Amino acid sequence: MDERRLIVIKVELKKRLGGFFLDAELSDENYICLTGKNGSGKTTLLNLIGGILSPDDGYVMLNSKQITSLPIEQRHVSIVTPDSCIPHLDVDQHLVWGAKNKRLNIESEYVTEIKTGLGINFSGKVNKLSLGMREKLSVATSLISKPELMLIDEAFSNIDNHEDFIATFRNLAAKAEIDVIFTTQYPDDSTQADHHYRLESGKSTRLF
Amino acid sequence: MFLLIYEGFGPLSEPIGYSYEVFRAIELTLISSAVSSAISVAVFTPLAYYLARNKNSLGETLSAIPASIPHPIIGVAILVIVSPLTPFGRFLLSVGINFFNTYLGLITALTIVSAPIYINSMQLFFQSMNVAHENYALGLGASKFRTFISVALPNAGRGILSASLISMSRAMSEFGSISIVAYYVLQQPFYGVNPAPVLIFQYYTYYGLGAAVTASAVMILVSIAMMIILRLVKQDNSKWMKGD
Repeated sequence: MDERRLIVIKVELKKRLGGFFLDAELSDENYICLTGKNGSGKTTLLNLIGGILSPDDGYVMLNSKQITSLPIEQRHVSIVTPDSCIPHLDVDQHLVWGAKNKRLNIESEYVTEIKTGLGINFSGKVNKLSLGMREKLSVATSLISKPELMLIDEAFSNIDNHEDFIATFRNLAAKAEIDVIFTTQYPDDSTQADHHYRLESGKSTRLF
Repeated sequence: MFLLIYEGFGPLSEPIGYSYEVFRAIELTLISSAVSSAISVAVFTPLAYYLARNKNSLGETLSAIPASIPHPIIGVAILVIVSPLTPFGRFLLSVGINFFNTYLGLITALTIVSAPIYINSMQLFFQSMNVAHENYALGLGASKFRTFISVALPNAGRGILSASLISMSRAMSEFGSISIVAYYVLQQPFYGVNPAPVLIFQYYTYYGLGAAVTASAVMILVSIAMMIILRLVKQDNSKWMKGD
């Protein structure tokens, strides 16, 4: 267990979408892995936690604070998917875009540390980057913006050596005291997590 | 349309249909339609974005009303609202603002009739955009307004160009409302010039079918040029949306 502040994520959510019904519970902290087959409800659960969807019933608590009815921009929760980016920016503008929104005083050494750690050794317009580069950049931008919680929806999938990337990201997130819930198609990725949940047909099970 | 071009430049051709007056009328129509389209871009792009991202039946219905009522009614409504019959009209007249046979009246009428088409086109464009970019920006703490200005808008240039050309085409074809509000303009540099659709109607009533058909043929060529530009922009748009 990391020696750091624990931001407890506590979630009990119900949501019906057409014929699909999600009934999920999650109560943990630090680095949480969420696995499940396609259509099991992983993205729906992250969208509910992030505020993209509203639950039919239930709540989302982050560090003992109810955020269920807050809009996305007030939750301090960053959502990263393979499509997450701001396409018209340059790489360096992109990295600090979130921090500037939040008027954070970010040291350039910190930005360099994140860039080096996550292998952001490229530049240029974001919409000209490969998918893997964009995923690295989106994760890095989110880290620099210092949310309380990062939701990563298969945004490691196109990154080369993603096991190493995940390990480095995990350390950087821990250092910045950011909790993470990530979904993955690779079961081995869960070995790097503090906790592992599996979703099956909208029902969540805590594996450890 | 092709029959009108054939007849206008062939059997029914009348010299008055190519007169300086016709080209001035077309010039006035092009400029006033372009200005009304620019106003729609400035005023109604945020509304189209709002309607694309939030379900709002009332807003959608209200924005579509001008497109669904006979346009002479819009002309009459503008005249009544700005007439001395209403306190608002009396106030405008007292500060020297007049809508009758002025650029203000002409452009107001054109904006009201073409804005619903602009709003609808832009709403569809915004709905077709990838919202993951905006959700990501919101998650990075950006307000909805900043997300619109800094994320949605910079990626909407081609959609705005396409929608504004559609709206401009609609404004160029308007007759009903402007024949009431601005039958001609009594301000320089187009003093005494009729908008092209009004002039064609006037030619028909004064000189008969031949003059009206010839002037129409000239106007149709201008409209076809607009449609070609629009088609090129739309093709470019679809390539861009597919990521080519």
